[in-house]
Amino acid sequence: MRECPDGAALLAIAREVLRKELLPLLPGDKAYAALMVANAMGIAERQLRQGEGPQQKEQQALAALLQREGTLAELNREFAARIRQGDFDEDAEARRLLWESTVQRVRESAPKALAAYSPSAARHVFV
Amino acid sequence: MRDDQRHALEQFLAARAGANAVRIHEARLLSGGAIQENWALSATVTGGLHEGVLECVLRSDAPSGVAVSHSRAQEFALLQVAFRAGVTVPEPLWLGDTSVFGRDFFVMRKAKGTASGHRLVKEPGLGGDREVLVERLGEELARLHAVRPPVEGLSFLRTPTLSPALQGVKDSREFLDGHHTAFPALEWGLRWLEQHAPATPELVLTHRDFRTGNYMVDETGLTAVLDWEFAAWSDPLEDLGWFCARCWRFGQFDEEAGGMGSREALFRGYERVSGRRPERDAVFYWEVLAHVRWAVIAVQQGERHVSGQEPSLELALTAHVVPELELEVLRMTGGRHA
Repeated sequence: MRECPDGAALLAIAREVLRKELLPLLPGDKAYAALMVANAMGIAERQLRQGEGPQQKEQQALAALLQREGTLAELNREFAARIRQGDFDEDAEARRLLWESTVQRVRESAPKALAAYSPSAARHVFV
Repeated sequence: MRDDQRHALEQFLAARAGANAVRIHEARLLSGGAIQENWALSATVTGGLHEGVLECVLRSDAPSGVAVSHSRAQEFALLQVAFRAGVTVPEPLWLGDTSVFGRDFFVMRKAKGTASGHRLVKEPGLGGDREVLVERLGEELARLHAVRPPVEGLSFLRTPTLSPALQGVKDSREFLDGHHTAFPALEWGLRWLEQHAPATPELVLTHRDFRTGNYMVDETGLTAVLDWEFAAWSDPLEDLGWFCARCWRFGQFDEEAGGMGSREALFRGYERVSGRRPERDAVFYWEVLAHVRWAVIAVQQGERHVSGQEPSLELALTAHVVPELELEVLRMTGGRHA
C-alpha cells in the first residue's frame, strides 16, 4: 500500500510552498516561470484527483451514442468525423455529451474559466 | 549574443547604413517570442544618414517555428507595405541573411513602450485614454485594409481559391486529420463555420494576429503594431473578429475590444477611415473562427512539446488552453442550433 499523503496531496502542498514562500523571493523575470510551474502542478493534481472515472464515463456515453465499442481515442475520432458530416447537427444528446466532456476537460485544465459558464447558463445557451 | 555575431552585425549595419563604423554597445534578448527571437540593439553610428545613436530591434527565426508563419524576408516585405500604407509599425530598416547572424533576420527601428497584454489590462496609465486608443486601432486596421491585391513584393501570399472563411475551415480540418488526437468540439465549431460561412466580396491585406499583446503603447497611446508573420489576403472582418474575440480580452470580458475598450469605439475608428461600418452580427462569425483558429494553433504549439521536438513548459501549458476555447466555441454556436 502506498504512503499517505498521495501524489495529489503532495502536489497540493508543494504548490503552496512554491506560491507562498518561493514566489515572493524570485526576481521579477522569473516570476512568470514560477507561476507556470504552479499552474502545471495544479493541472496534474486535478487530473490525479479525478482519476480515470470521467474518461470511462465519456467512453461509455460515446459508445452508446455511436452504437459501437472502442477505445476513447477511437470513439472520439469517429465522433469528430460524424460531426463533420453533419450527422449530429440536430442531435440534443450529442450536444449534451460534447458540452459535458468539454466542461470536464476545462475542470482539469482551467477551472477558473468555468465561472462564466454556470450550469443554468450553459443549459439555456447550448444544450 | 556571441562576439563573432556582434562583430558581423556591426559590419552589416555599417554597410547598410552607409556609415564609417557602427558599434553595438547593448544587445538584449527580449522575452515572449515562441516563434521568433527578438534582440534589442543599441548602437552608435559614425557617419552616414543614421549618424548618432540607433535604437533598433533585430528579429530572427527561433530554433523551431510554426509551419504557417512567414519567413523573415516575407515579414520584412509585409512591414514595408504596411509602413507605406500609413499603418503605425516599426520602420523596417534592413534585411539580413544567415551569413551574418547564423539565421535569417531583419532590423527595424525600435518602438517605445510595452506590448504585454497582461500589463495593459491591469495598468490603466498605459496607452493613454483607452477609448481613444481603441478608436485609433480601428483606424489602423482600416488603413491596412485599404491594401488590395496584387501588390509588388507580396506575391508569396496565397490568394485563396475558396472564400477566406471556407479556406480557414479547410486548413483547420486538414491539420486535424493529420493529428494523433481528435477534437470533436472543434469539429462542431468547424461544421458551424462551414454552414454559416459568408462570402467575401473583396480580399484585403489582413494582419491575422491583430490583438492586445501584439501592439505597443506608451503613456500617451499607440506606438507600433507588431507581429506580422500571419498576414494574408482575407476578409477585413477577420481582423475585427480576432481583436474582439473573448479569448483575447485578458480577463477583462466587459471590454469587448481586446479587453481595452468598447467595440463601439473600435468600429467608429474603422468606419471613419474606411467609410464602412462593421456589422456586429457579421463580425460575430469571425469571433467564432478566432476561437477555433487559436485552438488549432494552441494544439500545434503544444505538439512542439509533446513530440519532444522542443521541450518547453510554456508550450506544454498552451495545449491546456484548448478546452476553454472549445467551451466558448460550443457556447457561441450552440444557441443557433437549439
